[in-house]
Amino acid sequence: MSDEARILLADDHALVRRGVRLILDASPGLRVVAEASDGAEAVALTRASDIDLVIMDVAMPRMTGLQAAREITSHDAHPYILMLSMFDNEQYFFEALKAGASGYVLKSVVDHDLVTACRAAVRGESFLYPGVESALVRSYLERIARGEAIPTSVLTAREDEVVKLIAEGHSSKEIARALVISVKTVERHRANVLEKLGMRDRTELTRYAIRAGLVEP
Amino acid sequence: MGAITHLQLIADVFMDRPFAMYDCGDVKQSMNLPLYSKVCLINGAVFALGITVLVVSPATVSQQVTPRELAVLTCGLALIVVTNALLLHGVLAPLSRLIQRMDRFNIGAPGERLPERGDRVAASVAKSFNAVLTRLELERAEGNARALAAQENERRRIAQELHDEVGQSLTVVLLSTKRALDMRPDDIENELTLVRDSARASLDEVRRIVRGLRPGVLEELGLVTALGAIAQEFDMKSPVNVRHQLTARLPTLTANTELVIFRVAQEALTNASRHATAKTVDMRLLADPESVTLSITDDGRGMSTEGNGEGIRGMRERALAVGGELRIVPGTGGGTEVSLRIPVASQQ
Repeated sequence: MSDEARILLADDHALVRRGVRLILDASPGLRVVAEASDGAEAVALTRASDIDLVIMDVAMPRMTGLQAAREITSHDAHPYILMLSMFDNEQYFFEALKAGASGYVLKSVVDHDLVTACRAAVRGESFLYPGVESALVRSYLERIARGEAIPTSVLTAREDEVVKLIAEGHSSKEIARALVISVKTVERHRANVLEKLGMRDRTELTRYAIRAGLVEP
Repeated sequence: MGAITHLQLIADVFMDRPFAMYDCGDVKQSMNLPLYSKVCLINGAVFALGITVLVVSPATVSQQVTPRELAVLTCGLALIVVTNALLLHGVLAPLSRLIQRMDRFNIGAPGERLPERGDRVAASVAKSFNAVLTRLELERAEGNARALAAQENERRRIAQELHDEVGQSLTVVLLSTKRALDMRPDDIENELTLVRDSARASLDEVRRIVRGLRPGVLEELGLVTALGAIAQEFDMKSPVNVRHQLTARLPTLTANTELVIFRVAQEALTNASRHATAKTVDMRLLADPESVTLSITDDGRGMSTEGNGEGIRGMRERALAVGGELRIVPGTGGGTEVSLRIPVASQQ
């Protein structure tokens, strides 16, 4: 991989593609090298050219983003995939993970999350949007409450507090205010927690979601 | 009631036996002839009896009618009229009882029918009435199915357009304002932030509306995932605790049937959380070789049929439209159990 991540953009709306492209091209280290207007075209382009990251809309004509993702990841040495979607159901997110995607970006926060998600994806990490993160942590707490044995490293008292606040859907800023610590510290706790719960990497996350009944096996 | 039974017995003894022949052959098809003939024969028999009495008895009528003769004649006439009336009543009573039953009949309850036994004429009328009911029910189910399908299609179309047109345009607005903000335009930064925030809020709103209109998860990810999703959604957004147990081994169902199962689950969950003030709801989806069954049991205060009658009717109509059967019974633990059973045979 060169210094710049080569990106394929697939969305059936030319204006959305243009908007995303302008933002990515303005970000150092990211460059859009190809565009597709449906899933089938995206699959064909991925095979034909050297792509590091595919950004796809979930809903596209001819072949949906999810189908295209399955198709792309069925080959060895496939690029990373990031799904763009308007829907915040975690079922879509887990389905995207199952299809091999690294992350899922909600369109209503695309301006804010897109670049971060791209960077996480090309580093090989998964990108969790805030809603899904609290859903995951909540289901984790419920499983503990039900007395299921979950093998994880023990959380510190502080991390435990952070977990409960994440589960309630609070943002980092709100958690920082509640615990009287800096946002940076909250972010660090958050990262540690996800790491300890085995929610950092895609395979772990998918496995967790299936076990917790958040998605069909 | 006792009098009627008694009279019917007389009518049967006197009338039915001689008329047995009308019940075989092609005359059986027509209802008018046996009833008409019955009436003629009753009248004829009564007149014949009167005349026989006149002929056999020594009674005569003088040219100048004496008061005694007049009294005898009046009594005779009264006897004839009363006998005739009683016999006719015996024949016609089953019909009037049938008419009363028809008047009281509850057309709204599907599957309810008039009994087709007893008096031949009444049974035959009841049979036709029942046949009309069956046809009406069938047509109503078809009409409902068409209306529901039209409604769902319209919802889907609106959702699609909102998603594809409005949603995408707002995404473009978001992306463009970000670009503009990145250029650090100090003098209009506040305005741009406002544009960005309202575009974001609108996009969230569009997403919320689209989600309510069209069960996207159902269409794209299948029934089991969609049911799991609404169970989870209710679990999170309402005070009820929703547990679910969904079989993954489902027979192939039509898209319409999946939609009906999904909408019934949605309605039952809404009822449980809104009207029944339940604490825990159990949602189960089971399949056997013959059928698929969705059951939703709550531990609420039981379902009051007023207030949410509309929702229950909607569930019934949806069930009927795909050949399913909806049962709403008190649950074992005090609450309500809603169960929808759809035969697999109806899926071909």
